[in-house]
Amino acid sequence: MVEGVIRQIRELIPRGKRLKIMNVCGSHEHTISSSGIRSLMPEGLELIPGPGCPVCVCPESDIINAIELSRRDDVLLVTYGDMLRVPSREGSIISNGRNFRMVTSPSEVVRIAREDKDRKVIFFSIGFETTTAPVAAILETGMPENLYILSSHRLTPRIMEVLVMDSEIGIDGFIAPGHVSAIVGADAWRVFPERYGIPVVVAGFEPENLLLGLLELLRQINDGRPYVGNVYRHVVRPQGNTTAQRLINKYFTVSDVNWRAIGNIPRSGLELRDEYARADAKRVFGLKEVKESKIPGCICDRVVLGKAYPDDCRLFKKACTPERPKGPCMVSIEGACNIWFKNR
Amino acid sequence: MCVGVPMRLVEIDYPFGVAEAKGVRRNIGLQLLPEGEIKIGDYVIVHVGFAIEKLDKREADEIWKGYEELLGLMEEGDA
Ligand code: SF4
Repeated sequence: MVEGVIRQIRELIPRGKRLKIMNVCGSHEHTISSSGIRSLMPEGLELIPGPGCPVCVCPESDIINAIELSRRDDVLLVTYGDMLRVPSREGSIISNGRNFRMVTSPSEVVRIAREDKDRKVIFFSIGFETTTAPVAAILETGMPENLYILSSHRLTPRIMEVLVMDSEIGIDGFIAPGHVSAIVGADAWRVFPERYGIPVVVAGFEPENLLLGLLELLRQINDGRPYVGNVYRHVVRPQGNTTAQRLINKYFTVSDVNWRAIGNIPRSGLELRDEYARADAKRVFGLKEVKESKIPGCICDRVVLGKAYPDDCRLFKKACTPERPKGPCMVSIEGACNIWFKNR
Repeated sequence: MCVGVPMRLVEIDYPFGVAEAKGVRRNIGLQLLPEGEIKIGDYVIVHVGFAIEKLDKREADEIWKGYEELLGLMEEGDA
């Protein structure tokens, strides 16, 4: 079946035409890179990794604040494994922090806070909609008094809109992330065909499903009739998970936030609502935004925005490796530089 | 980070539960699915310890098959 799909994809690319299809999910990029899909694509079809890595776009300011918080005697900072290793000008949490611990789930965070009653447990929480919803869930069930959230959550549809309006990239279609779509719903992407004439297909993470998505996207481009397709229908509903949406809206409010090395993007992040200020680490600990520094030579921002490939960076695989990452895109398992390092 | 795995619900004590896949059991949160819409034996996608959506067995099996192919490819790549 896979060969058939690939043949059809090849037939759909007109000679001399160049098409750019962007994925906005580190796990999609994983599938594309490790299954060799990219190398099977015809000349003229570019599969571009986009902003699918929340670790990569977490502002340096949040990382520096997290390091400093972890150095307080009365604090235990907890976060996902990748976040511990992200570089900043003050080092990383693992190299320069003091009291920190890795977690894999927000429920683990709740358990730790219950067991460690004498310390203030701060959850440095990052991620797109799929990872925000579980944080709303622990807020709903009731968090221990000594648990605080340092929110660095970001919104996927907003950054995609920014990319569409950037003429340097010129995106012809989006593969929409399967599990973000499970939360926000396939309909959340309708703005792209309807307002910008750009087709979207929601796809899952198995190679076969992704290829089907790609095929449907190319058909849309060929027919000149963009819409939101969905080849991950068994998981993603048009309206998404409305319970999860309701909980996210109950606890979080949309805000203007910085994306690392990219700058401020209006209405692209989430912070805790005023009613839950008690649990908001930024407010409780009076955290200030610190000015961002540039990592010399790192073009991670351009990689995130789909303007450059990892191997366009002169540090890629030389000064910058997963063992000694210079930039965030090499740290995270969802960062394009890390994924490309492992697959070529 | 945004990839979840299909698992089968084996215990429910709403809003918590236990789900199983490939012989591994895990405590999960069920807050993101309404209580009335889930029952033991249902398949769900689990992401960072929370069920984010339901799906049926056939689909869960299909997704696992795809993931396993991918893992196989990745191991070949590492070798
Ligand atoms: S290879 Fe390293 S230095 Fe270059 S863009 Fe990627 S993360 Fe930055």
